[in-house]
Amino acid sequence: MIMNNPNTKTDTYSCEEAPCVMACPIRQDARDYVQLIARGLFKEAFRLVRERNVLPSSCGRICTHPCETKCRRNDTDAPIAIAWLKRFLGDNYSEKVGVNPNQKYPEKIAIIGAGPAGLAAANDLALMGYSCTIFESNPTPGGMLRMGVPTYRLPRTAIDKEVEFIRQMGVEIKYNTALGKDVTFDSLKKEGYAAIFIGVGLLDSRDLNIEGANYDGVLKGISFLREVNSTGTAKIGKNVLVIGGGAVAMDCARTALRLKPEKVSVACLESRKEMPTTDFEIEETIHEGVALYNSVGPKRILGENGKVTGLETLKVKYVFDEQKRFNPAFYENSEVVIEADTIILAIGQTSNLFFLKNQEGLQVSRGGTIIVDPNTFVTSIPGIYAGGDIVLGRGTMTESMAHGKKAAISIHNALRSEKRKDEKWGDKPEVPKLADTRVPLIKKEQKQDMPMLSLGERLNSFDEVELGFSPEVAVREAQRCMNCGAGAVVDENLCVGCITCVRVCPFDVPEFRRGETTAFIGGDCQSCGLCIVECPAKAIRFKTPLEDRGIERLKSLFADTSTKNTKPVIVNFFCQYSSFRDNSESNAIIDKHVKRIGILGLGKVDPSLYLNALEWGADGVLITACKDDECHFCAEYEWIKKRSEYVGKILNELGMDSRIFQTHFISSQTDTTFLDIATQMVKDIENLK
Amino acid sequence: MIVADSKPFHEIEQMLSEFKKVYIVGCGSCVTICHTGGEKQVAELAAKIRLTAKLKGKSIEVIEDSILRQCEWEFIEEVKNVVEDCDAVLSLACGIGVQYMAERFPNVRVFPGVNTTFMGGPTEQGVFWERCAGCGNCIIGTTGGLCPVSRCAKSLLNGPCGGSQNGKCEVSQETPCVWNQIYDQLDTQQLLSTMENIVPPKDWRTGAENHPRKMVLEHLVMKK
Repeated sequence: MIMNNPNTKTDTYSCEEAPCVMACPIRQDARDYVQLIARGLFKEAFRLVRERNVLPSSCGRICTHPCETKCRRNDTDAPIAIAWLKRFLGDNYSEKVGVNPNQKYPEKIAIIGAGPAGLAAANDLALMGYSCTIFESNPTPGGMLRMGVPTYRLPRTAIDKEVEFIRQMGVEIKYNTALGKDVTFDSLKKEGYAAIFIGVGLLDSRDLNIEGANYDGVLKGISFLREVNSTGTAKIGKNVLVIGGGAVAMDCARTALRLKPEKVSVACLESRKEMPTTDFEIEETIHEGVALYNSVGPKRILGENGKVTGLETLKVKYVFDEQKRFNPAFYENSEVVIEADTIILAIGQTSNLFFLKNQEGLQVSRGGTIIVDPNTFVTSIPGIYAGGDIVLGRGTMTESMAHGKKAAISIHNALRSEKRKDEKWGDKPEVPKLADTRVPLIKKEQKQDMPMLSLGERLNSFDEVELGFSPEVAVREAQRCMNCGAGAVVDENLCVGCITCVRVCPFDVPEFRRGETTAFIGGDCQSCGLCIVECPAKAIRFKTPLEDRGIERLKSLFADTSTKNTKPVIVNFFCQYSSFRDNSESNAIIDKHVKRIGILGLGKVDPSLYLNALEWGADGVLITACKDDECHFCAEYEWIKKRSEYVGKILNELGMDSRIFQTHFISSQTDTTFLDIATQMVKDIENLK
Repeated sequence: MIVADSKPFHEIEQMLSEFKKVYIVGCGSCVTICHTGGEKQVAELAAKIRLTAKLKGKSIEVIEDSILRQCEWEFIEEVKNVVEDCDAVLSLACGIGVQYMAERFPNVRVFPGVNTTFMGGPTEQGVFWERCAGCGNCIIGTTGGLCPVSRCAKSLLNGPCGGSQNGKCEVSQETPCVWNQIYDQLDTQQLLSTMENIVPPKDWRTGAENHPRKMVLEHLVMKK
């Protein structure tokens, strides 16, 4: 896709998919963008993310990241911070997405709601060549991202930037325009819209039907968040209690904290382990000073003179019954009162179907969600589609985006009588769990922490708490990725069964399965590339097209006339695993004379390539590899040393000066040690002339 | 398998010095496995040849290829067009493959890129030992599964000789004395007494003494 010749891309690239990709509702290419970040190719990584994701910055912040839950790195130490890496890309890179001006269809599509589902649908339809108009009831875009998610988690600038890109693709957004009030199905049809996609979300908080729910001081979570998010404040008392254990409850509690009451607590049915939100969110909520009451159920809200004074709770026996259905049971006579003057209900969201008033025929479930065909997202009315929370009942941002994307294809297929498919959603086997015997062979590498605003600063404002990765931290984190499912693959037509791969692999991955005459390399491959280089039949290659093992970059280097006109030119092959420092050092000599080719592990580089460099015009080849104990793959030092000696002998045989080929093992590829070595080598070679 | 060693580069350079377009062809069997005549070696050798030419201010076109087995007419037939378009062929196959190429393409100069050395196998990654001399009359059933013909410096049939020292051969300290190994193996198998049988001189006519040898499987020969 980016580096390799597309002709070398193997079919097997798609045969087993990485679990992080399979877990994602929009099948974001998590592995590949992480791999691109690991190589410092941030723009390319961003482009890849944006191909499938209209809201990378927002998604990188608030996605529940099932990709990380399924990350195979869970078995060695900790999952890759995939979402934070995406946020890093979304925050620092942007690019106008080009719509093909020659690909234009006459149909107009109406999209109701500028939330994740609507924006995703609009983006994909616009890319396909349709004119899209989004009708948004609020004065601003983002839907629940803007109305529901607090700014300390998702700054509005992130949403605005991403929506602006969608707008630049030609998508029109009509604000303050509500379905059922300002437009109707009929009016839209009359205006010539060929299809309608409803992605209005769930606008209301679920009610709690217990005694006292009408007292003054009982607030609904969504309304509370909406008010604070629109006005910056809301009326609360001194002692706030949030009922609920999910992400919205945490949002309510942390938002309330920033309004400076004396106390904020959260009470929920679930035990700490059962709470339906991420551990990280719970930790942060507690860290900011919220008191958490687990396994308590609301019995009634207490009040005096019509005003809330507290919540009477019962101790929870269990939340889910034996059939794992939500069916809470309580201990009798276990009443405890939690005092509060404000109670915020955050026990789930529900739809508000005001937009269907006087519009007959749209089939709705008992729970208030719109019923659609699960494959086409078409509702009971032909031409009207729906997706996102209004269909899911309770979904995530990425699930909503997935609905939008799938509905976009479905709308296209219906309008054009096509059977277009997004292959990414096809069924593929996942790379299996990492073998237990492999785990100790893989180097443990600390997951990078997210830099955070200090506690004092947090509570005094609605400023974003998570500050984002720097490029060096992002690269370091991405370099932990095991490249699952995109490692080495044996071409059965070329393998001669010599067993070299089996012998050289530091992770014991290649094997000869019983009855087979060619080697097999499974999904546990760590992509060190040693076998690829050592295979005498050149029968092994990387599935990933992102890895060129230096070949294509060396070629393009010497295709550049400026390289040819520089004397001397030294090609430096360096290990990117030790080049993540941001304060990269350089000097004029190196800038001019040293051409650098970074590779994730020099074990991937064929010694012949060093000869090729000299053949194509290099005056010297400098290899800077990691020190033995710093190797990401734990095993490459010996190989690089051996291969360097081998090439040294060849050059000696050809009568070349040994100073033109040097190998150094150093800790960092960007500090003064490298600078000294490279500068010296330039001088050495100049003196040879 | 047949083991071959890379020819010294100066020899190759000399052989190809007068040619402008050379076809370097590897063999996908034995010599690939012993890392001297496969695709990878072809690429490396090609780079060396081009680099040398460049250093000497010459130009040479090198075509890199490898075929499954050079000792089959059918396989080498596939490269006919490209071979006949070149001035010379450098074959990285064993001596057999080189001769097949030379015989099939009599109008093109064919050169060996390796020295075919012995029949053996890898004992560990990168280390190959001779294991068979092709004597045509195998006796390893009586010697504990170890071949004294190929592994004893003197090909003794009744060993060890007086040069066996601490399990090593007097010819080279890194060579194990195979007769010492045979002794240990027969001891393990409680067959030591068989060593007392004197093995009479072997009929060497089945082996290398009788070049060229030929094998015909009558039942497989097809009428022309």
